[in-house]
Amino acid sequence: MTLGFSGDEPLFYLGTMADPASSHPVHPGSTGPLARTILVVDDEPQIRRAVRNALAGVAERISEAATGADGLDRAAAEQPDLVVLDLGLPDIPGMTVCQEIRRWAAMPIVVLSARHSDQEKVDLLNAGADDYVTKPFSTLELAARVRAQLRRAQHQVAPAPALLPLPGGLVVDFPRRTIARDGTPIRLTPLEWDIFHALLRQAGRTLTHQQIFAEVWRRPYGSPQQYLRVHITNLRRKIEINPAEPQLIVTDPGVGYRFELPR
Amino acid sequence: MTLPARTVIAALTWGSITAAATLVLVPSRGDTDQVHVVIVYLLCVLGGSVSGGRALGFTLAGLGFVLIDYFFQPPFDTLSVGKPLDWIALLAFGATAAVTTQLLTRARMEADEAGRRTEELASLAQLGAETLNAGRAEDALAAIAEIIRSTIGVAECEIYRWAGDRIAEATVLRTRETAGRLPGWPNPDLIARVAAYPTPPTALGTENDGLVMVHPDQARTTILIPLRGQRRSVGVVRISDRSRIDIDRGRRRFLGVLAYYTALAVERVELAAEAEHAEALREADRMRDILIASLSHDLRTPLTAIKAAAQEGVARGEISAAIIEEQADSLTRLVGDLLDWTRIKSGAFPLAIELNTADDLIGAVSRRFLGHAGKSIVARIDLERPALVGHFDFVQSLRILSNLVENAARYAPEGTAVDLSVRLDGTALVFSVADCGPGIPPEERRRIFEPFYRPIGAEPDASRAGLGLSIARRLAEIQGGDLEFAPRPGGGSVFRLRLPAAEVDPSFTESL
Repeated sequence: MTLGFSGDEPLFYLGTMADPASSHPVHPGSTGPLARTILVVDDEPQIRRAVRNALAGVAERISEAATGADGLDRAAAEQPDLVVLDLGLPDIPGMTVCQEIRRWAAMPIVVLSARHSDQEKVDLLNAGADDYVTKPFSTLELAARVRAQLRRAQHQVAPAPALLPLPGGLVVDFPRRTIARDGTPIRLTPLEWDIFHALLRQAGRTLTHQQIFAEVWRRPYGSPQQYLRVHITNLRRKIEINPAEPQLIVTDPGVGYRFELPR
Repeated sequence: MTLPARTVIAALTWGSITAAATLVLVPSRGDTDQVHVVIVYLLCVLGGSVSGGRALGFTLAGLGFVLIDYFFQPPFDTLSVGKPLDWIALLAFGATAAVTTQLLTRARMEADEAGRRTEELASLAQLGAETLNAGRAEDALAAIAEIIRSTIGVAECEIYRWAGDRIAEATVLRTRETAGRLPGWPNPDLIARVAAYPTPPTALGTENDGLVMVHPDQARTTILIPLRGQRRSVGVVRISDRSRIDIDRGRRRFLGVLAYYTALAVERVELAAEAEHAEALREADRMRDILIASLSHDLRTPLTAIKAAAQEGVARGEISAAIIEEQADSLTRLVGDLLDWTRIKSGAFPLAIELNTADDLIGAVSRRFLGHAGKSIVARIDLERPALVGHFDFVQSLRILSNLVENAARYAPEGTAVDLSVRLDGTALVFSVADCGPGIPPEERRRIFEPFYRPIGAEPDASRAGLGLSIARRLAEIQGGDLEFAPRPGGGSVFRLRLPAAEVDPSFTESL
């Protein structure tokens, strides 16, 4: 299963515009923002310590597991708000732990890996992971990624407004499936709209090429899938202020595309 | 023409027996019934035919005819026949002798033929078994050469594997007379000619069957047989002997079958070698992947811990911690560069060549350097024209351009920009990274792409292995592109990355 693809109704979150920073919406399954739990699954005590310190300001409670089996037990028993999962576990491959958790839970999973392979990242995202941090990581970056995923998950259930403002004077009109900049409509082809919509619904999360294909090319279409990158390029030329420096649709090299959450 | 030794011995033996019988019977010819004499001579004819063949049988029959007439039919010791009934006896003898000789000879030939067939079948069975059983393919070829040699009964049998332009391998078997090598042998020209002989081996035994007889002198016969496998000509078999080699129709057919089996065996040798090679390559790849993966893990895990500890120190305001973190980052990059250089050099660098747009690549580069301290990166794409597309590996191309932009930004003076742009040049996308830095002196321009290069006079920098540009150029080349340096008019450097351009299917726009 994939996070957020819960039906035809557009469900997504867009940072400060949909939700002022001051509010504290309640995430179902947790007891509230003041008692957030993050589960860290890693066999190296130093890494667990580093992650614990990095996330001290993000969650109130950090639970730790040194093996994949223990991690699965704790994930089931404690229902944490987010899991930080190392791939190189001694007992079960991290990929398997990820898939296993995804069978019964939708909380964000942020993966830590020492292998810098794009294919691995693609496989993990396809397996249901939400983000991916390579070792050696910056503690600040890890904290920022975890925060972003927590925010995204909390607002997953917020219904989308009919009109959504985006940076750069863009406004998305969902019922009409159109976009306008400063009141001037932007013409998108049906395919471009589908790609745009798929990325926007999962804003803040990288969708692999495969996931975008699955979402957009559900029906047989005249254009072959290999042209996804060309469609994205054309879409950017229509909606980005400077297509040479894209701000909305960001490339995750070798992995896929992400609709960037405004910070 | 010389007669076979066996025939000569049989002729002498049965000639003597006939003479002895005549000597024994003549003294008592007055009392002996003519029938008994005829039976004795008939026995001699039969014996002669069985052991000496048809010619000896007929010779003995003729001899018997004359002897009976001369010694045993009155009037004795003359060739004249007295009574008409004696003619009947003589003719009966002659007819019986001729018919039995004929029948016996045929039966013996059939028996010989059957014996030879059995032998051939046994050889072929053995050949098949050797082909399949021999531990190494080369052993199989040696075994086959030995089977051919002993079955045909020649002194030498050689199998040459032909690689299309040269002898790839020779298996040579000889029983004796190693000194009697043919001058100028093996002769690649002749082998090439025979290997290219157009007749398939199944047609052997026909008139134009590809069997090449060579008689360099009267004392030696050499036969060359082309080996044709399933796919192509794989080599030549050469058999050779000091004496004549008898090749009748049956033998020719048999040689054809042998040649076919041999060709299969040679093909097996080649396939086995290919398979072994592929297996070895796979194994080497696997070992390298495991090594690289474990190196990455073993090096990066402690680096992560060091970096994390350093960041905590920085947060507490420790100045030395910042240096530790910086050095940990350098070490990480160094480890990555060395691992990549090893993989590129060993040809094990995996590429994902796909249809990509120049916009996307430029966008990813400029995004990577967003807010890069001090220097500005100016990325430009031509929005008036349709997006440029190419066939390249996005991640590796991004790496090349990032490396170039990073270098440019390092040397560019404060307040100047690094320009990043792209254009189409024939069948190539040309990405340019231009700076207003000091440029590169002419004498160093050739060396900058060499591994472990450092600018002359540059301060030693432990964090840089000097691999950046050499990796970048190799990455460009393995994608079918290249990377060049040019001085920028007015000062500075331009690095140009060329990557193969692609065309968007015209139906693409219609399908929108």
